[in-house]
Amino acid sequence: MSGVQLNDITKSYGAVNVIPPLNLSFDEGEFVVIVGPSGCGKSTTLRMIAGLEPVTSGSIHIAGKDVTWARPKERDIAMVFQSYALYPHMDVAGNMSFALRLAGTPKDEVEKRVKVAADMLELTEYLHRKPKDLSGGQRQRVAMGRAIVRDAYCFLFDEPLSNLDAKLRATMRTELAILHKKLDRTMVYVTHDQIEAMTMADRIVIMEKGNVQQVGSPREVYNNPKNLFVAGFIGSPSMNFLDAELQGAEPRIVGQGFDLALPPRLQQAVQNHGARNVVAGLRPEHFASTEAKGGTAESRFAPIALTVEVAEYIGSSQFLAANIGPKQVSAAIEVGPDSAPLQSGDYLFDTNRIYLFDKTTGEAVA
Amino acid sequence: MTDIPAHGTPTALKRPRDLSALVPYFFILPAVAIMLAGLVYPVIQAFYLSFYDWKIGTDFQDAPYVGLRHFTRMLTDENVWESIWVTLRFGFWTISIEMFLGVSLALLLEKPIRGASVFRTIFILPLMVSPVVVGLIWRYLFDARIGWINYYLGLIGIEPQVWLGDADLAFFAIVFTDIWQWTPFIFIIVIAGLQALPSEVLEASKIDGANWWQHILFVKLPMIRSILMIALLMRLIDVFRALEVMYILTGGGPGRSTELLSLHIYNRAFDTQQLGYASAISVLLIVIVTLLSLGILRMGNPMKDKSDI
Amino acid sequence: MTRNLLKGFAASAAAALLATTALANPYEKYDGTTIVVSWPSLAHFNAAETLVEEFTEETGIEVEIDALQYLKLRDRQILEMSKPEGDYDVVSWVVMWKGEYVSKGLLTPLSQFYTSGSLVDPLYDIDDIADAYLQNGGVVGGKKGYMPGASGALYGIPFGAETSILAYRKDVFEEQGIAVPETYDELTAAMTKLHEAGIPALTSRGKTGHQVTAAWLFHLAPMGGKIFDDEWNPVVNSPEAVKAAEFMRHVAKTGPVGIQTFGFGEASAAFLQGDAAMHLDTLKIAAMSRNPKLSKIDGNVGYALHPTDKRCGSETGGFALGIPDNAPNKEAAFLFIQYMTSKAGDQRMVELGGDPIRISTLKNNADQYPDYAVTAEQLPCADPDWRPLIPEWNEINIDVLGQALTQVITTDDPIQPIMDEANEKLRAIMEREGYYTWAEYRAQQ
Repeated sequence: MSGVQLNDITKSYGAVNVIPPLNLSFDEGEFVVIVGPSGCGKSTTLRMIAGLEPVTSGSIHIAGKDVTWARPKERDIAMVFQSYALYPHMDVAGNMSFALRLAGTPKDEVEKRVKVAADMLELTEYLHRKPKDLSGGQRQRVAMGRAIVRDAYCFLFDEPLSNLDAKLRATMRTELAILHKKLDRTMVYVTHDQIEAMTMADRIVIMEKGNVQQVGSPREVYNNPKNLFVAGFIGSPSMNFLDAELQGAEPRIVGQGFDLALPPRLQQAVQNHGARNVVAGLRPEHFASTEAKGGTAESRFAPIALTVEVAEYIGSSQFLAANIGPKQVSAAIEVGPDSAPLQSGDYLFDTNRIYLFDKTTGEAVA
Repeated sequence: MTDIPAHGTPTALKRPRDLSALVPYFFILPAVAIMLAGLVYPVIQAFYLSFYDWKIGTDFQDAPYVGLRHFTRMLTDENVWESIWVTLRFGFWTISIEMFLGVSLALLLEKPIRGASVFRTIFILPLMVSPVVVGLIWRYLFDARIGWINYYLGLIGIEPQVWLGDADLAFFAIVFTDIWQWTPFIFIIVIAGLQALPSEVLEASKIDGANWWQHILFVKLPMIRSILMIALLMRLIDVFRALEVMYILTGGGPGRSTELLSLHIYNRAFDTQQLGYASAISVLLIVIVTLLSLGILRMGNPMKDKSDI
Repeated sequence: MTRNLLKGFAASAAAALLATTALANPYEKYDGTTIVVSWPSLAHFNAAETLVEEFTEETGIEVEIDALQYLKLRDRQILEMSKPEGDYDVVSWVVMWKGEYVSKGLLTPLSQFYTSGSLVDPLYDIDDIADAYLQNGGVVGGKKGYMPGASGALYGIPFGAETSILAYRKDVFEEQGIAVPETYDELTAAMTKLHEAGIPALTSRGKTGHQVTAAWLFHLAPMGGKIFDDEWNPVVNSPEAVKAAEFMRHVAKTGPVGIQTFGFGEASAAFLQGDAAMHLDTLKIAAMSRNPKLSKIDGNVGYALHPTDKRCGSETGGFALGIPDNAPNKEAAFLFIQYMTSKAGDQRMVELGGDPIRISTLKNNADQYPDYAVTAEQLPCADPDWRPLIPEWNEINIDVLGQALTQVITTDDPIQPIMDEANEKLRAIMEREGYYTWAEYRAQQ
């Protein structure tokens, strides 16, 4: 079996168990992003795959080989660190070729591979510079280059973009996605930034407190979050959660300041589930203004009153910090770039996009 | 006013009303004054003295001006050259062994293994002992009649050696004592340097496939290169300044076998009381130390090599 | 001549005292004066502090003692005495320094006090002070500048002075059937015999520099050698000097291990700890061997004269007391020196554990201290010229002889060439310092 498998991995520091038994399997060539808040165990997991951190129990297989106790260099992996971890005393070429030189690769082969990687990353003219003479983005690319020349079976990324500014980060995301296509290697990427996860991943692993909350494609985790945690973590701005009661024969969700009809799909699910008290999840981007819908609401749009505290202008949308009843929510409303600041009043919500969660377990009602 | 940069620029100085531009100079004034008084003045004074034949206890006014006579005498004074040769040999053996031992021990004890911190503390004790006491301790340890070293050698059937009374053994003794005293210095600054290394770079090297040896040779040591240079430089300067330990341990003897240049200068000044000549030799010492230091700085300037990674 | 002169002064002073009778107490005039004394922090001087207190009690003259480590003493004293007005009223110098002090005009000649009848105690009896001590410690300007002679004058009174005697282990000698050596030949034979029996024979100083030179000089005088002839020609390669060097090599080979590193402290400790059968150095070893804190051999030590070879000759050394030229209270200072070195003071010093300077004191206490009898007998042989007390001596002592003799005792190199080379270096120093000016002048005539 190829790819990367983690079987019943645990990790404890003394009596403190940071990773409960963990099972994950990544396919060959897949780009997997492990995402979660800091302290969720994602970095530890990655470091265990890399062999920088020993596992307490369980086994790790890479490309079908059991590498649980293998040293990092025996695992056929390359890794990109958050701080880039470049060798300050070596120039760019030296950094990129270090692993190959250690492995005794013939000189011309080393040069060839460094050149290919440098071309790919537009680093050719910097090959003889020391890291301290490079910009942050260039250093980042050298770190990538160092991994690329290895031509490893599996690439590991530990929050590689978090030290870059927002614009560069966006560029690098795209470059990474392109790189993955070119190299066609298994990549495991750890980040706390769900946007990176959503934009790059073939599959996302969402972790919290050492536990895997959900594994799925970006679409799956966005559209069908398995629980409150995933729902709240994926999507930006975060999903609003409102306590609600189910009322009526054709169940509606009613809470302080709102009363929304459910689409047939959810009505069925609710009846199967049987609970009365739920948490309703409303994503900010699924609010709309009545004007935008021409005042004549389609059947799936239901009116909802928002008391606007602040309206932030972000171009074609406005971003509202508002209240529904006593509960503070956020809403992103597409009104076009010329509209006046939005005021309190009636807005619409796309009822097809309502998420419901069991109030006690936090699991999705679906 | 407040947007004037903290480092006063020449343009700021052109406006005398703007006294705030002078503030930075005020702040460095004490440091400059101390440096002039404590550093520059004695050196100039030594240089000045070297042109006079001043005997201790006489008025300096009575000391005759002798021009370059001390310097010409120095060039043909075999005792001076012998003590330079002793110093260079001493420096070569002590510094190379101290660097090797200090760096090796730092690499071995860097990891937080059980007991390492206790060992580290014990190991740096020699650094806290005053040089005079170091001299006394080792003088008794090396004592031929009552010293521990001969005692323990005697237990394994080795004849008592006159450690400090034989030219070769005494040289060995001062080298050994210096290593005992100063290896901890190398150890402590190297270990500080190693512990400050970014862990991700070290992990990167493991992932890149460096074995234990390559990891040290190609990554760790080059990354603490500037620290090693500073250690080397400080030890080198110290070797030429070393006086107290040798003064007590051997007094430069037997003969001149352990008479380092600094001790030679001391003996010239205070034993044979030729202050002017001693000053001239100390000018030579300054020249030698400066040349050697510049040589080391050329090998790699620790100030220049400051990386912000 | 000098002596007669002094006696004359003393007599007239005594006459003056009898004539006036103005004062009932010679100390009264100085009651409440405070004098400052600079001397070394050594056993004899530490013991003297009790006597100083008695002096204050009896005379009303307060004494402030500035006791310094012996090596720091000279620089401090020169600094003080070079000022227009110094702090010190009394200074104690090592005999080595006296020439320098006088040539720089730092000391007051004592003759000026001996003219004063109210100051000089008629019972003082300066002739009772061992002549070698007085000449060596107090007289400057005679033959060679540091020897007695008509051109000399008295600048100080010995205090804490010493000569050399042989101390030996009675028990070891008895056990090995060795007679106490009287000559260097007998001494050499005894050392060989002890060494063959596995007993370290004679301890000695041997550390590079003035220590090894001092040890060699102890043997040079009895063997008839000198550093210079009468015209300042160095003669350290003479047969006598080479023989003394050969003897040093024999000492190092048959003595306790480590002689090459011994200063006085280590050398005497080896004897006191029972690691050597003999000690041929200062008479201070007797007091030290009686001190249970230092010695493991008390009761087993015998004393004998410094062995003779061509002649008898022992070292003279130690300290003397004198008055700086810039002293604020010279007369009180003189009274202090006179008190400390009087017959009664000398006896008190013995009782306090110090070293006497008077022949009468040595004889009166010989029953209690066997070494005193030996010392009294040794003193006529004490040689004030056992080492030259000239300003160049430091350089000769440390740089030339100290190095050559180290080579003698740490190697097996032939000795004659070593001493020949030393002689040449020595001549170069004397040449440099102008000692041959007269000889060259005459040669040109």
